[in-house]
Amino acid sequence: MTHYAERNRALLHFIVLPTILLTAGLLGGLRIDAQTRQFVFIAPPLVTLVLAILLGSLFVRAGAIDLRRWLSIEQPTVTNLSQLLTLIALFFATAQAFNSVLPESGLLHWMFSFFFLWTLWTNQFSNFNPQRLLKSIIVLFGTAFVLKHMLVSALYAPDGGWLRTIASTLLQGIAIDVPAVAPATGYISFFALTLYVAGLLLMAPVPMQLDKSSGNELAVRTEVLPESSEE
Amino acid sequence: MKQKPIQIGGIIWTLAYASLIVWIYATEPRSFKDVATNTKVAAGIYEINQDKFNNALTLFHRDEFRAARDEWARADPAQSDPRTQFYIAYAFYREGWGRVYHDDALFKEGLTAVNLAINLNPNGTLVIDDPNLQMHTAAELKAELEQGTERSWKDLNPLKLFRQRK
Repeated sequence: MTHYAERNRALLHFIVLPTILLTAGLLGGLRIDAQTRQFVFIAPPLVTLVLAILLGSLFVRAGAIDLRRWLSIEQPTVTNLSQLLTLIALFFATAQAFNSVLPESGLLHWMFSFFFLWTLWTNQFSNFNPQRLLKSIIVLFGTAFVLKHMLVSALYAPDGGWLRTIASTLLQGIAIDVPAVAPATGYISFFALTLYVAGLLLMAPVPMQLDKSSGNELAVRTEVLPESSEE
Repeated sequence: MKQKPIQIGGIIWTLAYASLIVWIYATEPRSFKDVATNTKVAAGIYEINQDKFNNALTLFHRDEFRAARDEWARADPAQSDPRTQFYIAYAFYREGWGRVYHDDALFKEGLTAVNLAINLNPNGTLVIDDPNLQMHTAAELKAELEQGTERSWKDLNPLKLFRQRK
């Protein structure tokens, strides 16, 4: 029983977690063109990399990731390499999660970017614990998802109804360039964000082979991986 | 340490999967069919559709250049065959050629295609052995297309009305 648990934990940490994060990264930049129904892959814009660094900094400051335990000179090289790859996957997934909820171009792209930057920058000076940070991230991405994939896309849909009428009246003369994407894009984005959050839930502040402290701060993580592995 | 094989497997898997994602973003496939085509190109087992190529060649010989280009595009969806790209460029040349003036837009598209053909050819010199063509190398075709898009005093020479399409 213990043997299986240990092996499953290792599989979860070294294979499933990077896979989830990388899949979130893959889907975060995928759009479906409204007219041709073809894939459009959008590489993460520079601003999403900045946002990912800011969020990464929040992870470290809030204690959601203890970098000294993830990468340590006292660990074997293979372990360090494995952890480093997971951290890189997390960074990539974070950038793509932002990419997924940012409008692709135009005024809305910069407005969303500005609000993300503002939120993450002010959060740098707040007191967070991992649980609160996780909730805050879910709310942040959830709000952006609703705004982009439900509100904005409804406003600019070809058969956009009364919302479109109101928007075109209010924003008359203001050019807001919103590329037309198929509704499937919203589903892909939802799936990508779900995977990203699932990856965050599986991410331990202290990686498994060094996790000797029973007082693991991230509650969800302790549910998923209730015990530390004993080497 | 029992985790070591899993760790090493995880590293290999993560690197392979990350490379796949980078490759997908670099090649930007537009459909699952494109993914399959790009995979064949990457694996070195890509082949053009010879039937469609021959159909396009027949259309080309009947001076139906647009139809020929469409058919060649379908024969080589990955745009990876230098010979097909050469013929596409040639079709642009023949359609754009005019006794009095050339169609710049078509010649520019022809230049793009012939440059692609040159870049795709690993040996550097692309020679097409087709008796129906008067230019057999990509370099000749490129020079002809470039001359066609340039402006000079020679354009005012009335003798150019007697020139022949190659």
